[in-house]
Amino acid sequence: MMESKEKEYITSVGEGIYSINTGDWRINEPVLDQEKCKKCGLCFLYCPVFCIEKKDDYYEINYDYCKGCGICARECKSGAIKMVEKGSSSYAKN
Amino acid sequence: MKYRDILMEQEDLVSPGISACQGCGAELCLRTALRVLGKNTVVAIPPGCLAGAGVVGWNYDNGLKIPVHITLLDNTASFLAGVKELYDYLDEDVQVVAIAGDGATADCGFQSLSGAAERGHNIIYICYDNEGYMNTGFQRSGTTTKGSHTSTTPVGSLIKGKAQHKKDMPMIMAMHNAAYVATLNPAYMKDFVSKLKKAMSVKEGLSYLHVCSPCPTGWRFNSDLSIEVARKAVKTNFFPLYEYENNSFKLKKVANPEPVSNFLKLSKKFKHLDEKDIEEIQAHVDEKYNNLVNLAGENIN
Repeated sequence: MMESKEKEYITSVGEGIYSINTGDWRINEPVLDQEKCKKCGLCFLYCPVFCIEKKDDYYEINYDYCKGCGICARECKSGAIKMVEKGSSSYAKN
Repeated sequence: MKYRDILMEQEDLVSPGISACQGCGAELCLRTALRVLGKNTVVAIPPGCLAGAGVVGWNYDNGLKIPVHITLLDNTASFLAGVKELYDYLDEDVQVVAIAGDGATADCGFQSLSGAAERGHNIIYICYDNEGYMNTGFQRSGTTTKGSHTSTTPVGSLIKGKAQHKKDMPMIMAMHNAAYVATLNPAYMKDFVSKLKKAMSVKEGLSYLHVCSPCPTGWRFNSDLSIEVARKAVKTNFFPLYEYENNSFKLKKVANPEPVSNFLKLSKKFKHLDEKDIEEIQAHVDEKYNNLVNLAGENIN
């Protein structure tokens, strides 16, 4: 029997990962103003979909699966995140 | 290590796109909990919001990057007790975790959970309490707050929402003398992570974690208010943060608690309540809180 440390997964986990494109859902999307951002990480903690990514010394929004709930914009203490209509910002990919 | 570093360094073990509603408290709790629990974990999820959202996968695909089982609504704890016994027999140190809704915990799954707690199986049971069967259309459950407008307790001329008070699930588990019982709230992440770490360190007996999980769709508030609603639940003493271990309670005190109406007014499911109803809920909240203060004695911080 293999040592549990050596095994990446402890039992079979299926052939792939089930995932749906929740990025399609959003009507409004968050836009992060890097100049106003105080790097506190509250948006990272509270995003239910974990769309906020920590880069070396700043945070970035990954729009692939963002559902547009708006929690990040409401919880941001420095007002760096604004909700805008989908497609109206240059940050958005789709 | 700081709690934020713990969260930032760990991989997200959930599929990136699961179909939980916008602003879902349960999704945040699931992702955060699995980041803390890590890869050496087997998860069981009974039917409910998270199973419905695709966390248990579909066909040959898995919703988590770790093993996950969908149990029946009423056998989650006994299922995991068996799984844990197997790994003990194989002499492998594996964390066995249930992530269940309040219906699968306090109502349908209660007898198996009660049995597992009494026998003292070493499992971590996380209950996300969204106060109802939200997955099937917001029916009332045992943990629904009095006065809530749900699809089976509608507001009309004869009845005005649910007539009974909420079942106090964490206290019931504490009275089972479980190894560790705690209430968690996603708005208080430091506390959330430290309590999960504590549950992980328990090597004998059952750990029960009761998580406040606001439901934007069922409670009817805007999705961006999820964390605010969870925070108000603590600030009004509606959902006090406490722990139970070794026969003693430890309570986190809120400075200057707000009236419970500040919490109730955020959700439209409480929209119809008049002053008398709110007074009644306030009296119930105060009674429960005073009871906790008495139980905690000197362990209040």
